Amino acid sequence: MKLEDFGTFVIFTAVYAAGTLGLPHFSLLAYQVKIGEIPTAFVAVFGMPAVFGLTLGQFIADIGFESSPLVMISPAVSFLGLLVVYYARKTSTLAGCIVYIAITSIWLSFMLPAVNGTPVVVAAYSALAGQFAAVIIGYLAYQIVVKKMLPQKTEPSTQH
Amino acid sequence: MVVAAEASHEDEAPEYYEHSIWPVLVAVATGIGLTGLFFLTRGLSFLPNGLLLGFYAGLLMVVAAVAILIGFLYSDTKNWSSALSKLGRLPKDMIGSFPVDINMTIQIIIFTELLLFGGAFGMYFAIRERFAFWPPPGTPILDDSIARVQTLVLISSSVLIEWAIWQLKRGKMNAFKVGLLGTTILGALFPVLQLGFEWPHLILDKILTPTTNLFGATFFLLTGIHGAHVLVGVIAYCYTAVRAFMGQYSPENHGFVEASSTYWHFVHIIWLFLFALMFQGSFR
Repeated sequence: MKLEDFGTFVIFTAVYAAGTLGLPHFSLLAYQVKIGEIPTAFVAVFGMPAVFGLTLGQFIADIGFESSPLVMISPAVSFLGLLVVYYARKTSTLAGCIVYIAITSIWLSFMLPAVNGTPVVVAAYSALAGQFAAVIIGYLAYQIVVKKMLPQKTEPSTQH
Repeated sequence: MVVAAEASHEDEAPEYYEHSIWPVLVAVATGIGLTGLFFLTRGLSFLPNGLLLGFYAGLLMVVAAVAILIGFLYSDTKNWSSALSKLGRLPKDMIGSFPVDINMTIQIIIFTELLLFGGAFGMYFAIRERFAFWPPPGTPILDDSIARVQTLVLISSSVLIEWAIWQLKRGKMNAFKVGLLGTTILGALFPVLQLGFEWPHLILDKILTPTTNLFGATFFLLTGIHGAHVLVGVIAYCYTAVRAFMGQYSPENHGFVEASSTYWHFVHIIWLFLFALMFQGSFR
């Protein structure tokens, strides 16, 4: 990561940390959606500074909640998921996002019962629904940004 | 002040020297200014009518220090204009390393800041570990609404300066100036919120002062150190903005803008830790 990417790194850190700590989770039907998870798909545009930024953001947010030492492992799990989104960006960002949702949901399904005593089925269901809603909202925003704002590469003509 | 020695061969890069009295003067001004501030607040009790004399001596010292600093800024800004005009006649590969490697400079600054804040947070955790309950019983619950606004202000300023630099790199100077000015105003809003609203609210309404308990002491120490760094960032942005409006930056020459923004982003990240620890983590 170059020094000039430091700004991108900090902005992603801030969006995750402040979005989680400073803004209340919003409800979509019965499920809590973490605003900090929404920028996940933008890793495909901003690259590794976004991966490190979102990971540090989650670390800071977890310090704020400080419910259990187990929670502090969450940034490492998210980091793995974000790496998948990053490396899958050339093939399919959507596929990367779905793998991210799967990884983080499995972790939350294990962690929430251990930390809060939530029943495993409830934890798994709410984690999957919450993560899915947040990441897919972000993915739709990512699609709009990519299609409307970023310069498109011109495909070489296949007609002869 | 920048002297270019003639190169003995045409294909060799010329050497550059910088002779300046200003580093010494600025160091002296800092010493005088801090001593003056001490006299202003404490007085000179060992002189006849000590308090009054101490006040005026302190005031004189602070004024002298400020005058020297203004002189330095004026001189430096003026010299940059001529230095940049000389740069225009230099080969392109000389620009990045002239007059100093600003990337290396900012990396050293950030490293020293990391040590400072690392020590400060270490102190906080060391104190906190000694208490069974944190914050200690009797500490008022903090209202984080102003802190949330401060966080929003810092995020907005970070996004805006990145946008401004992006515009600068594309050669859109007017957009760059607007972005830089906006960042400066947002940056200045942070200490206004802290000193004008948050601290008075805590001290007067919540009765949380540095002497209330160890939480109060660490809270004001950490947010105070951070606030001082924000002030330095705002001063750096004011200086950057003045130079921007003097036309001293271009898509090829904007190292100071990048350095200021890196410092600002670092200050921002420290605030996120403070926000998480002081306003959120302590009261859940």
